[in-house]
Amino acid sequence: MERFEKALEVLKNNLADSIDELKVPRPRKAYVFLKPENHREAISLLLKQVEETILSTITGVDLGEEIELNYHMICGGTVTLKIRVPKENPVTKSICDLIPGANLYEREVFDLLGVTFEGHPNMERLLLPESWPQGNYPLRRDWQAPEHQEDVFMSKDESQPESVSEASESLVNVIVGPQHPVLHEPEKFSFTLDGEKVVDVNARLGYVHRGIEKAAEKMMYFQDVYLVERICGICNAAHTTVFCQAVEDIANVETPPRAQYYRTIVHELNRIHSHLLLLGVAGHLLGFESLFQHVWRDREPIMDIVERITGNRLMSGFNTIGGVRRDIAPSTIEKTLKTLKDVRKRAVFYKNVFEEDATLRLRTEGVGVLSREDALKLCVVGPVLRGSGVASDVRKDEPYAAYDEIPFNVISYTDCDTWARLMVRVDEVVESINIVEYALANLPDGKIRVRVQRKIPEGEATSRVEAPRGALIHYVKSDGSAYPYRVKVRAPTLANLVAFPDAIRGGYVADIPSVMGSLDPCFSCTDRMAFIDTNNNKKWHWSLDDVNNQKNRKVLI
Amino acid sequence: MPDLGLLKWARRNSPWLLHFNTGACNGCDIEVVSLLTPRYDVERFGAKLEPSPRHADVLVVTGPVTRQCAPRLKMIYEQMPSPKFVVAVGACSCSGGIFQNCYNISGRLDEIIPVDVYVPGCPPKPEAILQGVAKLLAKLKG
Repeated sequence: MERFEKALEVLKNNLADSIDELKVPRPRKAYVFLKPENHREAISLLLKQVEETILSTITGVDLGEEIELNYHMICGGTVTLKIRVPKENPVTKSICDLIPGANLYEREVFDLLGVTFEGHPNMERLLLPESWPQGNYPLRRDWQAPEHQEDVFMSKDESQPESVSEASESLVNVIVGPQHPVLHEPEKFSFTLDGEKVVDVNARLGYVHRGIEKAAEKMMYFQDVYLVERICGICNAAHTTVFCQAVEDIANVETPPRAQYYRTIVHELNRIHSHLLLLGVAGHLLGFESLFQHVWRDREPIMDIVERITGNRLMSGFNTIGGVRRDIAPSTIEKTLKTLKDVRKRAVFYKNVFEEDATLRLRTEGVGVLSREDALKLCVVGPVLRGSGVASDVRKDEPYAAYDEIPFNVISYTDCDTWARLMVRVDEVVESINIVEYALANLPDGKIRVRVQRKIPEGEATSRVEAPRGALIHYVKSDGSAYPYRVKVRAPTLANLVAFPDAIRGGYVADIPSVMGSLDPCFSCTDRMAFIDTNNNKKWHWSLDDVNNQKNRKVLI
Repeated sequence: MPDLGLLKWARRNSPWLLHFNTGACNGCDIEVVSLLTPRYDVERFGAKLEPSPRHADVLVVTGPVTRQCAPRLKMIYEQMPSPKFVVAVGACSCSGGIFQNCYNISGRLDEIIPVDVYVPGCPPKPEAILQGVAKLLAKLKG
């Protein structure tokens, strides 16, 4: 709280002339309207004078004549710095030199809204296919999908390796992906190797880019809850919680305390299963197959209780605007407590494994080091940030749901390596079990939801939660109708991915999987955005037409 | 050489699966991975997750097909030796699901490559995917 107030003081004292308006509509949420081109000054002031300040994301909003850029700065709360650029010639100055973590966010805005950032080191496509027609920016309100022609969108297979350029004789380029046996998600990495050493790595995102942000504009708020849930199957409860909170903020809806507790419970169960999932995958990546099988076996009881509470193993559909959709039966609470007791024993056992197994430590200690300074500079979030010694957790910094009433510890390790990042997750499993047990024991009585009008009043809100992978931010802008004007999602993986080149540089090829795994990448979250195109009456033709003749061999179950 | 049905027998008893995510939200993916773990244990049918398309018999696809993934999907399908089979896992793969008409989606799976088994659900439970695999094996038998 202190840091947030300090940040506002700093801005007011030093930038009084360049601030048009400063609003603090809710605790720890500030909106600062700046005069054009004053964002660099404001950001460098915050970075210098308020410790542990990071940039959360940059949201571009098409306002018709102008494009508004929102820089969401995190310093004890969320300070949103707003500037506007003309839509005719959308150019502004890059902030990458002040804060390198802005790199991908600026590219994202460039890709989807066409704003150019002067001085950006690498202003290229981030999410859309290379063959996407020039001058088409899908997140602009007036964008119409061009008439589909077969070769407009997809002229070449981008998965082919690029030619080796400027590489000296000992350097080799190795392309991994998009289809990769371990990651289970398509993404392309091109590594530059010098023998066994990794010199550099480039990631190409966007293979899972679907267009959710645009789709969200075409659906009503209530429908969007189900859409944002499908941004990521693993941290679905985090996405619905954060979206519902943002909409409730705009509509000034008070969710009943019982609903807040239920949200906390499902959110934490989500975290337990996600962390166990990752620890298992980490075992697999480290060549410890039996650890993978064991952890995943112990994850199944959690899935069972999630299914019992919400009705589904993964897509819970539990949160809604104004509360939650189901009550939890006393018998389910009993079952949950019993299951958690067993899971706790296993979690303690895994903690011993991660602490004491010599092979596991050898493969993770001192590998993929990301120092505290680098972590802050690159604006990483969640377990990656906490593994680098910064005890930052949205649940403590900006309590939401019932977290201000529940005691829990923020886990952080100062080792800054792969091992530390995995240990953060091991400890958080136990911490989450504590939270669920406390919440179930102290469940308040009352309603589980309040009714909310379909039309949401005009306004805007940023909302943050701590998803299993780190801080997740949604920005929602409403124009008073039942459809959102703009929904912006910044998933934790996009923030953490920036750190991958720094963590792996200088490491060995054999460390690549473990370092990658310790960042817990989730590309569906990262690539999300995109949207609906109703003119789509074209047909795609593939050279497989002859094979298609065999379509009658279908089995429907 | 007399046909002893050996190939057919082998194929039925050890189908090797290649998993490809063409734009899924991860929900179906982790359910597919769950299949390999002790509770569901698809390996008891001889199924094995195989990273190389050259070695795989069954292509398990999750998610709607994004524009960037479509060429690679086609490439992988073409690289697999015949006879090959395709399983579409999840609502998105079967129909495009909630993402149909999104601008970066090039279509549902069977618009790109032929599909043998559809497993609907968002995401389908591992039991459902298991049933899909079992149906495919039953078909191979017949």
